[in-house]
Amino acid sequence: MSRAPRTQRLAEWLIRAACRRLPADVRAERCREWAAELPAILDDESVRPPLRRTLRAFSFCAGVSRTAGQLGRSARASARRSRNSQWRTGAMPNQSGNVAARAILGFGIWLVVVLGFIALARSLTQPPRWLLMAGLALAVAFDAFCLADIARAAQVRYLPKWAWALICLIQTPGGGIAYLSIGHVGRPRPVPPGDATP
Amino acid sequence: MKLTGPLERVLRVLTADPSAQHYGYDLMKAAKLPSGTLYPMLARLQQDGLVESEWEVQREEAGGRPPRKYYRLTAEGLRVARLELAQASSSSPARQAGYGTARPAPGRTARPAPGSTR
Repeated sequence: MSRAPRTQRLAEWLIRAACRRLPADVRAERCREWAAELPAILDDESVRPPLRRTLRAFSFCAGVSRTAGQLGRSARASARRSRNSQWRTGAMPNQSGNVAARAILGFGIWLVVVLGFIALARSLTQPPRWLLMAGLALAVAFDAFCLADIARAAQVRYLPKWAWALICLIQTPGGGIAYLSIGHVGRPRPVPPGDATP
Repeated sequence: MKLTGPLERVLRVLTADPSAQHYGYDLMKAAKLPSGTLYPMLARLQQDGLVESEWEVQREEAGGRPPRKYYRLTAEGLRVARLELAQASSSSPARQAGYGTARPAPGRTARPAPGSTR
């Protein structure tokens, strides 16, 4: 039993707060480990006066908090690495359809859009102003839609998010169409009950 | 493994008596390291398989305190640590002398001061 129950309770609370920054699987064990060190610090007779023991307990808590932050960051980084290697190969749990077929479909849509645009531009040598404005608004809206989709997606395929965003902006209809046909990850299909997930 | 000053001190404590059980505060005092340096280092060593940990078996004479977590070197860890420490002492004798002259802390159990061979 510690001689400074109030200090110990406060320090235990600090340790619990620090442990929230840890990944969930090690949180409880670390919390128990670090809390168990507190009586040893607070009852350490070789450190005098008792105020120094209290200070030492709090500096222990500060170091534990730094440790928790560090361990949490490295766990998040390794999780991100494994997720990233997943999208590089295009191996998604919810991959739907053949990538080549989707790419051909996207290219077809892009061809239709471009040919339609060329035909329209040829037939109207002097296009009315409202048509130009409408075309511009359509292009901006499409870009905005693609960027919003990229920003909200939990993950995208083959390229990092920033690369897809750049492609969408550089080639206005083509980039967006390419993203939607290849890079876009659809909503996961509901898994039928009893079906073993890989 | 890059042998930094703090790591060297922890390894000296752990290799002094490889069978001894060290809990966190014990190691902090013996190696004179703050918890913010010691615990990340132990986590890294444990991940590399050089250090293992186990929970203290609760006994009657512990007086109701919570069980501690004990750390010690694995067989592989002991081999690597001895190798690294031997390399460190052969490459920088000046720094080694500096460690030997450090005043031992009161209540310390572990580290044998190099040079004081009696």
